[in-house]
Amino acid sequence: MEVWQTFVKMVHTLVPWFDGTVAIILIIFIKAMALLIPLMLVVAYFTYAERKVIGYMQLRIGPNRVGPKGWLQPIADALKLMTKEIIFPTKANIYLFLLAPVLAIAPAIAVWAVIPFDEGIYITNLDISLLYVLAIGSIGVYGIILAGWASNSKYPLLGALRSAALLVSYEIVIGFALVTVVMIAGSVNLNTIVQAQQGGIIYWYFIPLFPIMIIFFISSLVETNRAPFDVVEGESEIVGGTHVEYSGMTFAVFFLAEYSNMILMAVLSVIMFFGGWHSPFEAIPYLESVFSWIPGMIWLLVKTTFFMFLYLWVRATFPRFRYDQIMRLSWKIFLPITIIWIFVVALMTQLQLSPWF
Amino acid sequence: MGFEQIIFYIFSFWFVVSSLAMIFSRNAAKAVLFLVLAFFSAASIWILLEAEFLAIILILVYVGAVMVLFLFVIKMLNIDKSTIKARFTGYLPLRLVVAIIIIVEMSLVLGPSQFGLDVFSVPARHSEDYSNITVLAMQFYTTYVYPFELAAVLLLIAIIAAITLVHRNDTNRKKQSISEQVNVQAKDRVKIVSIFLPNKKEK
Amino acid sequence: MIKKINKLIKSFTLNELRIGLKITVKELVNKKITVQFPEERTPISSRFRGLHALRRYPNGEERCIACKLCEAVCPANAITIESEMRDDGTRRTTQYDIDLFKCIFCGFCEESCPVDAIVETQIFDYVFESRKGSIMTKERLLEVGSQNEKVINQTKLEDAKYK
Repeated sequence: MEVWQTFVKMVHTLVPWFDGTVAIILIIFIKAMALLIPLMLVVAYFTYAERKVIGYMQLRIGPNRVGPKGWLQPIADALKLMTKEIIFPTKANIYLFLLAPVLAIAPAIAVWAVIPFDEGIYITNLDISLLYVLAIGSIGVYGIILAGWASNSKYPLLGALRSAALLVSYEIVIGFALVTVVMIAGSVNLNTIVQAQQGGIIYWYFIPLFPIMIIFFISSLVETNRAPFDVVEGESEIVGGTHVEYSGMTFAVFFLAEYSNMILMAVLSVIMFFGGWHSPFEAIPYLESVFSWIPGMIWLLVKTTFFMFLYLWVRATFPRFRYDQIMRLSWKIFLPITIIWIFVVALMTQLQLSPWF
Repeated sequence: MGFEQIIFYIFSFWFVVSSLAMIFSRNAAKAVLFLVLAFFSAASIWILLEAEFLAIILILVYVGAVMVLFLFVIKMLNIDKSTIKARFTGYLPLRLVVAIIIIVEMSLVLGPSQFGLDVFSVPARHSEDYSNITVLAMQFYTTYVYPFELAAVLLLIAIIAAITLVHRNDTNRKKQSISEQVNVQAKDRVKIVSIFLPNKKEK
Repeated sequence: MIKKINKLIKSFTLNELRIGLKITVKELVNKKITVQFPEERTPISSRFRGLHALRRYPNGEERCIACKLCEAVCPANAITIESEMRDDGTRRTTQYDIDLFKCIFCGFCEESCPVDAIVETQIFDYVFESRKGSIMTKERLLEVGSQNEKVINQTKLEDAKYK
């Protein structure tokens, strides 16, 4: 930090307008870029992984033409989408039509600001980071609703109506599910939640909160509009839902938002239930020293990758749910279970069940 | 002017502009969006005041849920603009009276005499490890535990009342029983019957 | 009662979901049987009816005698033939067009041909770059025939004993 301050002073003598405020903005910008560029790359290659994994599960081999083994496929896709024409439907509300993808991607990226990647590696250590994630995540629905409304088209409107009700009801489930985590960790700070899971695999919260973990995972599928809950898109019923009228870069932005949300949900599941950056070999006598050289960020990545794979696995396996079945799942099954588990966790905290409390 | 002040003025400006735009917007959906922007600006100003918990809750509850449902309803409406115009002039005197009363009341309650640095001192800056939630929780669950619980029970009653209102005339409703549909097994649907075949016996 | 409890346990342990997930992950590691098309090709029957071709005799004379049987038999009216007497007194076509947009690849033209002039080859991966390209003129048909004469001869021989 002192090096930084001397650096700022040095530049200040050379360029007078470069003072503390500008330096703060600059450092925020650098931090954001350091997060954003890898994130976009991961999103790009996640689409490639999705096509490959689902292809393999369906006895195909997926994309393998562009570049060796198809490794350049996502870049080709991106170039294609960027050079395509953006078509505006007649009588569409063009401002809102263009605002919708922005409203979809902005929260999807803003949420990443509070995610801790390793001990002390984060963009900001917000004291209420979990609430921040929930709040900003809940804004993403505006992108879908506006896309449906501004397109001035039937199917997008149907998709948007479906998503609005779905996302609101599943936010409640996710909220309740995360309350149990907060109760055990005693904090809504993601850093503290991860730190509370230190000390080996038995300290991770997926053991006392196993049903909640499954509910959180399934709800996150709904929140990110993934199969088998992708009624918002529903290719077979409403053609492509909110995406019908979007083409070129506007569509690509929706795509980016959806995938970065998916990766975010995977990271959140790891942070909440699988010990964040902690190594799974902690507190195991021999293995701990063998694996101690691996940085925490790698462990987080490995665990996140598993969850991302799970998303693809589920998509390749299950047929789409009917809309009312998803609603029933939320209000009649998930919500009661989470509320019951809140009482169970309260009981566990009162009884001082080790090792989690 | 410090960095914080610049941010404050930006968000205050947006707050005022979006609130006015919300009122004067002809399009209902646009009005809702301007209201969302107003909520955002308010939340940002609250964050500057170190009330980050309230700010986040404002976004989570109002922007994330309530406004979404507003938009949901607006999309279902088919507003006929001519009838709105016709009604507007008809009730104009009454509306003006109500508006004036509200403006007077608001200025009495929220007027400059109630606020300002002589009434309130400058909010103290807290250290970095100051947690808004802990303070709020301490207040909620110790000093104000009964009002807090009462409010919770009141909301619960409202939920139950809403559900019972919806489920009143249940007799003539056509609905699907999803749990029945989900629990169907193959042997419930397919019935294997042995059919008497006269030809076989003749042979 | 026990059945009901059993069902409840099964649904709460996500039994059927686990069965489905097991199947897909098993397929994930299975060997794939995809044929990489331009490099690898699946075997084609000798009776395959693909792009048309007009054949010539080994001495270079074109086989077609403009009898117009193919034009008559074509169910899609895809064939247009104009004929003329040549200087040596034989009848030959001046125009022999097949509209591939109309053609249904039934193979009747090939069967009706008394001199085995019009045949359907095994070529199926052809493209047109203009709308006009869909009409196979006599020159193009003869070119396809002369380029693929060996293969055509081979496949027709293979199939001959079943005719």
